[in-house]
Amino acid sequence: MKLRFTAGIFSFFIFIMLGCRPSTPNRINKEASVSSISKLPENPLEMTPMAVSLQPEIKTMAALYGNGMAAKRLKDGADYAAGSVLYLVTWKGKADPDWFGARIPEQVAAIERVSIDQNGQKSYTFFKGPAWYSGLNFKNDERQNIMLSMPLAGSPGS
Amino acid sequence: MKLKIILCILGLVVLAQLIRPKELSSAKAVPVNMLAGVTKEVAKLLETSCFDCHSAQTNWQWFDKLTPANFLVASHIRDGRKALDFSQWDFLAAPQRNALLYSALNAILSKEMPLSSYTALHPAAKLNEKDIDLLKNYLLNNAVGKPSPVETTANGKAQAFVKEVKKSPNGVGYIANYRSWKAISTTERFDNGTIRIIFGNPVAVNAIHEGKTNPWPDGTIFAKTAWKQQQAKDGSVYAGQFVQVEFMIKNVKRYADTKGWGWARWKGENLLPYGKTVKFDSECISCHRPERNNDYVFTTPLDIKDFNKK
Repeated sequence: MKLRFTAGIFSFFIFIMLGCRPSTPNRINKEASVSSISKLPENPLEMTPMAVSLQPEIKTMAALYGNGMAAKRLKDGADYAAGSVLYLVTWKGKADPDWFGARIPEQVAAIERVSIDQNGQKSYTFFKGPAWYSGLNFKNDERQNIMLSMPLAGSPGS
Repeated sequence: MKLKIILCILGLVVLAQLIRPKELSSAKAVPVNMLAGVTKEVAKLLETSCFDCHSAQTNWQWFDKLTPANFLVASHIRDGRKALDFSQWDFLAAPQRNALLYSALNAILSKEMPLSSYTALHPAAKLNEKDIDLLKNYLLNNAVGKPSPVETTANGKAQAFVKEVKKSPNGVGYIANYRSWKAISTTERFDNGTIRIIFGNPVAVNAIHEGKTNPWPDGTIFAKTAWKQQQAKDGSVYAGQFVQVEFMIKNVKRYADTKGWGWARWKGENLLPYGKTVKFDSECISCHRPERNNDYVFTTPLDIKDFNKK
């Protein structure tokens, strides 16, 4: 009888312990991922990350991505050559729920693309994101230069 | 018969009191100087909630001194002082003090600290919303990293080159090709004035896309790079001087002793390995512990879809 009682209590506690295990969902920042922006010819997040920036006044954060040709600049510091494609993704930032002291991307505000063709001709395209609002006041004639002259996030090679 | 057994047990309990942890035999609280540089309110709050385990100013209550509880208390104090010791405050520079306060606040917010077993018997150490707001406001008004002015903007800079990068003290080798990986997130760290890119290798990116990130699969590698913030004339902030790159390498069997991850950090333009002993990675784990239900990973990653694959 005693044995049965002990076994019963034991299984009850095991059951409670398993039942109380915290759920462990897969955490993915879906709202900041680039998926709902129509007419984008390619996903900039698939390209090489080259620079990061913050705009403290308007609380946005941005990352510059480049194709293989553009990413050469990371190594040699030379000007962007013909065939380079650059994307600047700007997000609305939000407080990091896991670290007081950090901010992380929330929704995409805008995606901008600059490409340099074989004749060295540059073209700029703007794509509006879900968090876009007119207060962001991007002046198209300045944006191309801003993207082309962004200080790169350089790291030592080995 | 029953009385004899009770007397025997009591006798054993009394005798057990002769066996005590060494911390208790030399347990005289060494008062900590008033924490310099913080407000009186903040100093008082930290003293009440943290000092018993995180400084030499430990006030043992009578029930803390009873064997066997005292062994548990002593081990908490040992671990506590190792992780964070306010007795060292006067020897720390301002950025280290700020880092310590941010990490203390984050331990409080994640409910890691103060330990619930401690507050159950020391209710005065519990922090309420008002206490937490006091710490938050103090940090936001007094301990925010400021960006330095941009030095160069117009031209790119050729990559610095390190001939030979030494292994981390725990044997983890440097992974040179992380810059060709994808960015799974970026972070602004206003607590220490840095800006970061978190790179994920193809295994990581695939795991995100398949929604299998808890636990992350073996072969996953993250490289978290940090740069000092620098501010241009138009107010925008960019990545300035390279600070460090940190790696987390998932291999459940190989890194069974360190929560399934290999941890390493290389600092500065010379990529000097961080850590003095083989076990330096206990620091990494201790900081990542609040994320133990998320496989010790802080980053909530971006999903990087291939637009050509429908």
